[in-house]
Amino acid sequence: MTDPTVDDLTENRFRQLMRSPTVRAVASLAVVFLLGVAFNAEGAFFKWGTHRDMLRQVSVYGILSCGMTLVIITSGIDLSVGSLLGFTAVLFSILSIHQGLSPWLAIPLTLAAGTACGAISGALVARFLIQPFIATLAMMVFARGAAKFISGGQKVSTAVQAADGSYQYVEVPKVFDFINSAVLGDNITVVTILFLACVAVSWVILARLRWGRYLYAIGGNEEAARLSGVPVGRVKVFAYGLGGLFCALAGICQAAQELQGDPEAGVAYELSAIAIVVIGGTSLRGGRGSIWLTLLGTVIIGYLEKVLSINAVGEASRLMLTGLIIVLAVLFQKRQG
Amino acid sequence: MKVYLTVALLAVSILAGGCSGGEKSGRGQEQAKKKWVIGMSQCNLGEPWRVQMNADVRAEAEKHPEIEVVYKDAQNDNLRQRSHVEEFVNSGIGLLIISPKEAAPLTQPVAEAFRAGIPVIVLDRRVLGEDYTCFIGADNKKIGRAAGKWIAQRLGGSGRVAELKGLMTSTPGQDRHSGFREGIEGTNVEVIFEADMQWLEPNARREMESALARFEKIDLVYAHNDPGAHGAWLAAKAAGREGEMVFVGIDALPQEGVVYVRQGILAASFEYPTGGREAILTALKILNGEPVPKEITLQSRVFTAQNVDSGGQWLKD
Repeated sequence: MTDPTVDDLTENRFRQLMRSPTVRAVASLAVVFLLGVAFNAEGAFFKWGTHRDMLRQVSVYGILSCGMTLVIITSGIDLSVGSLLGFTAVLFSILSIHQGLSPWLAIPLTLAAGTACGAISGALVARFLIQPFIATLAMMVFARGAAKFISGGQKVSTAVQAADGSYQYVEVPKVFDFINSAVLGDNITVVTILFLACVAVSWVILARLRWGRYLYAIGGNEEAARLSGVPVGRVKVFAYGLGGLFCALAGICQAAQELQGDPEAGVAYELSAIAIVVIGGTSLRGGRGSIWLTLLGTVIIGYLEKVLSINAVGEASRLMLTGLIIVLAVLFQKRQG
Repeated sequence: MKVYLTVALLAVSILAGGCSGGEKSGRGQEQAKKKWVIGMSQCNLGEPWRVQMNADVRAEAEKHPEIEVVYKDAQNDNLRQRSHVEEFVNSGIGLLIISPKEAAPLTQPVAEAFRAGIPVIVLDRRVLGEDYTCFIGADNKKIGRAAGKWIAQRLGGSGRVAELKGLMTSTPGQDRHSGFREGIEGTNVEVIFEADMQWLEPNARREMESALARFEKIDLVYAHNDPGAHGAWLAAKAAGREGEMVFVGIDALPQEGVVYVRQGILAASFEYPTGGREAILTALKILNGEPVPKEITLQSRVFTAQNVDSGGQWLKD
């Protein structure tokens, strides 16, 4: 047997580096970025407007993914995020457009409603010991029905139906215009800033708060956590409730951007949120992960969608490609063990 | 490792194929000859009528080698369509043709494109305000009125009608509804059931099933489009009641509505021309610096069992 050579040592260090999920996520982002450079649609990829718009488009998904990260770390799952987005989008539109409430009232009410729905899911999981998949599936179906109920099955928009069946247009509430706008010289959009704020709040919870550490403990080994004195039930309600809060914020952003509350909004968004978290590198098994991985995952998915969109790739190719990317991402994670 | 590489290669090849081949027309010809790039933003390709619209655009565009058309499908998502408009503006196209999903969410992006100096042709569904170059569409109110009058005549002045409506937040839905009501005004034709089936056949079928369950006798079904009428017919057929009533639709696509009339499924179908061809011809006028009117109204025909083989009958005002 010969002594290890310099080459052997260097290879080990590379392997060590690649074992870090953050490094792997950054590597994936680099690959997608290079794809954008390669397929740059006659220079469109090199304009700042493309990147600013990519961030705006992915922000709603990103906000949902922040809540999803917290829940997945507890080794749970939340299938209701898309429906809660639809429900809160409708609620916010009804409060702001039809009831004419000030945003100082409409926004907290909507956030509270989303948090309440999330907390109910959490209670079903924690108190009644229903599996997260089932509990949040039920909430997903229920919330979609609730959205259609409070909206009367119609989109809640600035087109208000008068008694004779004709439509009249009312003013768009100023808060909608604000959320819809870009700041800092038109270089970054308000929804992007809201998304980054959600990332920051999630970081504080996960890295600095005791209850954030409890989330990891529950995901790692729930029984051990319980025996160590972690209030498992309350922490779970906290996680799902916070997820609901993020859903409500996403719903508000969705309503503002569409200038309407669509009860059908958010269908299948939960799948995108889960894909973002997984591609970022957080394990579905729970107990590990971080919000930075989710941030990276969001930007990866955002760039992927953007590159396909600026190249006018049709829906068929886009769907097949997204499926393959998800498999690739998981294989990439698995390789490192 | 092998699996990993195979999946990666597959993904890259789909990406490469999609990016270079994909949704552009006129690529076969010399790059040097292309003077203008036209962006076509379609709200969805789930409706056969919109697939026909894109096909009509493509057919006319291929006759003019100096233009290249880039097609983007927003998959019925307002926010996606908005980002497509922004991408078109960013990539510096010469002209934008757009068929928006809904008026309110797309008005601002279209206005921004227009104010950035890109001529905009709005097809079929309107945006709010005046910030566009030209609107091309058939007169849905006129078609609705003609349908109402034809239905009143067919029912001999009185009858029970189920109305299956298209997306009521889009102008065609609103116009086909209000036009129809004007057409039956003053007669004893009664609308006993109405529902918003959002232009989609499965939805129309579900709504019709509700109607069939609620009402013992329905004389006629008026659907805002042919897929809707067909869905209603399927529901009636499943209940064994298709002989009890008459079905009327709108669109009259040659491979869809006209075929249904020939097969006896629809008693009448009112043509709603897609305007794809007119869009390209108008685009060429605009790009060549010629003036175009703000509104171009397309003419339409009605197809019934009597005249389907002779090319339908043009509607008069």
